[in-house]
Amino acid sequence: MPQVKNKLTPFFENINFERDDNTMVINFGPQHPSAHGQLRLVLELDGEQVVKAYPDIGYLHRGIEKMAENMTYNEFLPTTDRLDYIASTSNNYAYALAVEKLLGIDKDIPRRAQVIRTMLLELNRIISHLFFIATHALDVGAMSVFLYAFREREYGMDLMEDYCGARLTHSAVRIGGVPLDLPDGWLENLAAWCDKVDHETKHTYEALLTDNRIWRMRLEDVGVISKEDALSWGCTGVMLRGSGVEYDIRKEEPYELYSELDFDIPVSDRCDSYGRYRLYMEEIYQSTKILRQLITMYKDTGPEFIAHAPKYISAPKERIMTENYALMEHFVLVTQGMRPPKGEVYVPTESPKGELGFYIKSEAEPYAYRLKCRAPSFFHTGLLQEILVGTYIADVVTIIGSTNIVFGEVDR
Amino acid sequence: MRKYVPKDNVQAKAYYTDRFWVSPRVPRNAVEEGTHFADVVKTLGAQCKEAYIVDAQLVVHIDAPENFKVIKKLKEQCGYTQCSEQSAVDYLAQDGEFELFWQLLNIDEAKRIRVTTRIKQGDAIESIEKLYRSANFAERELFDMFGIKVNNHPLLKRILMPDDWEGHPLLKTYPLQGDDFASWYEVDKIFGKEYRDIIGPELRDPAMIDRYDTKRFARIGYEVPFGEEYTEEEQQPVEYSETFMVDYNKSSETLDERK
Amino acid sequence: MAQHQVNYASTAGLPIALTSVDKLVNWGRTNSLWPLTYGLACCAIEMMASGAARFDFDRFGVIFRASPRQADVMILAGTLSKKHAEFARRLYDQMTEPKWVISMGSCANTGGMFNTYATVQGVDRIIPVDMYLPGCAPRPETLQYAMMMLQKKIRKYPADFKKYPIQDLTNQKGPRKVRLI
Repeated sequence: MPQVKNKLTPFFENINFERDDNTMVINFGPQHPSAHGQLRLVLELDGEQVVKAYPDIGYLHRGIEKMAENMTYNEFLPTTDRLDYIASTSNNYAYALAVEKLLGIDKDIPRRAQVIRTMLLELNRIISHLFFIATHALDVGAMSVFLYAFREREYGMDLMEDYCGARLTHSAVRIGGVPLDLPDGWLENLAAWCDKVDHETKHTYEALLTDNRIWRMRLEDVGVISKEDALSWGCTGVMLRGSGVEYDIRKEEPYELYSELDFDIPVSDRCDSYGRYRLYMEEIYQSTKILRQLITMYKDTGPEFIAHAPKYISAPKERIMTENYALMEHFVLVTQGMRPPKGEVYVPTESPKGELGFYIKSEAEPYAYRLKCRAPSFFHTGLLQEILVGTYIADVVTIIGSTNIVFGEVDR
Repeated sequence: MRKYVPKDNVQAKAYYTDRFWVSPRVPRNAVEEGTHFADVVKTLGAQCKEAYIVDAQLVVHIDAPENFKVIKKLKEQCGYTQCSEQSAVDYLAQDGEFELFWQLLNIDEAKRIRVTTRIKQGDAIESIEKLYRSANFAERELFDMFGIKVNNHPLLKRILMPDDWEGHPLLKTYPLQGDDFASWYEVDKIFGKEYRDIIGPELRDPAMIDRYDTKRFARIGYEVPFGEEYTEEEQQPVEYSETFMVDYNKSSETLDERK
Repeated sequence: MAQHQVNYASTAGLPIALTSVDKLVNWGRTNSLWPLTYGLACCAIEMMASGAARFDFDRFGVIFRASPRQADVMILAGTLSKKHAEFARRLYDQMTEPKWVISMGSCANTGGMFNTYATVQGVDRIIPVDMYLPGCAPRPETLQYAMMMLQKKIRKYPADFKKYPIQDLTNQKGPRKVRLI
């Protein structure tokens, strides 16, 4: 293939770093083999220690918030999949919950839909934590954990695929409920998978890593975030609980069925990466515990799985195909879009990465007037400019992995 | 004549709105006596212009120049130790103002407050970075997306868009598909302006089909080699298509011509 | 290589295989294609899954390399934003000949669902692409199938990839003979 001349020649950023003391500026560029996506860190190094770190983001900015101002609420739901693309249903659910609170129908969701949604959320939480341990271990150097964790993750994605048809970008939740009922045999597969995940977490990931001398040396006292820093920098989720603050939105501001379920919140006051790693492992156990409770709750639920709100939500397909009025409403809702009440809401949920919240401002138009997605990874990336200072360059990779950032959310 | 498109808000609009329809509102409840929120409102005193509760969260309207003092009071006296979110809503078309909001969280009480204010276009607001470090990135995003300047910010630079981008994307006057600067940005940056004709404009219409474009469209059943010039007359069906595909361009009595 | 099965009866029992240099070189090239790890967004996760335990990529001889100098194929998996376009081109230029490009997923093919101001509407605006993979995100089996199709395509090339001089196409007269960029 011919090589076409282009204007790209090597150049150096003119970012103001101090140039005395023989420090070296290196570019931890937007493409690097660490699996976290497009983070560009400009690091100023004194020998091996980082003196200054400047995270440069925006390499995956796709204009999702602007898209929301040009699409109807239902059309926008698959776009939210692509925010935190590792646990897609969490974003779909956060958005659907925000719209339901805007519409005022969040108390009318049928019980079966609630059970299914909570099951999907916890399933996605486990899938996301397995991905975290896989990529974190891969970055630190324990490559076989990557393969083992992906093996469990594949079974989990099989379950998601049985339910909604897609492995990665699910759109498994609709505004007002879920689109489908569970297929036959899904609950048995889920129960078997929970047992497998518990077993593997205990006997493979924890056995390989928790008491491993190398792992401990790489992770202990690396990436220490004090409690005040964590609160000030907007850390949420495991980053906050790893610094000793006991706050989980599922317990404090419960949504869906979390107020009825029995689970614990692991908290660590180690403040370092090792503490966060232990928390992620403990959260996997808690999630399987929740899933087992939900499996027993499913059979007591009624058959509907989408809320009845004819002004905002289309009727089930059987009614659309047979009743004229349902067809007319469905047509208007699909072509024009529903008109929610005028006002604003901010709804926080606990995604596997932290506090994922949606702020929706509506002017009673079918398109949202403003949609702001509060992404946990955005604030965790800001935190990097503080905690990377003083660490060695090998620890930079560990810390980035430990913050569990995913760039779909950071850049939106 | 082309259709009149208002320039102050170029986002998509619903094609039909009933003139006499009054939409419901998201319910706002008054602040009850003796609750945590009532204490907060009392602490703020005269600075709080309006306060009500939406969905278990307090919404407080303040004046723009006082945002730092109000948020400092909320942080130190009322215990709102985390700022979850900060952003703006563009109301320039209707009122000529931006509506900014800060979403704060009290960890001990598990309560949230939204502090809202309005600023005119061209005004700047005070940074709250000294109170909450999370404002570092959030205010940069505010500047990048809306063009709202922030005073006393340590590094107010574009964060999500490239550094040499012109325009502030989330304004209502900015089209979703980007203006002229945006559509040629990558070509100009990598190859230079001369290559605009060679590469061609962006294809933004997802429904476009061009039957004579042999590079982008597959033409199933009538394939020609990649890049070959093709004219109308010789529409030769490829061998497999004659055996089982139906040519809908030829009219025939029987509906299905498959052999 | 299966085309050149050794038939011991015909060659009097000697283990001789007859082939041409082209086929030998292409056998080496196709059976050890080393991609550049260029996962940008969601398709990157499917690319990693295709390299993981279930859909093993190593059985194709595919090992993901981090440095463009050591890579043959560039799998652009995910949305290319305009801020990133410059770096994608730079990495493509840094790859050594012979090189191929697979564009994975709708976002890399055409901009995908992100018909917005910040997305490059198709990676082929800046990089010449050999294989387009549809899907959002495409399954790992699709990526492996695309790799196999790419292998099939590579086998048609001659062994000597002439290095073309760097061309400046702005003053080219007449019809364009060369596939642009």
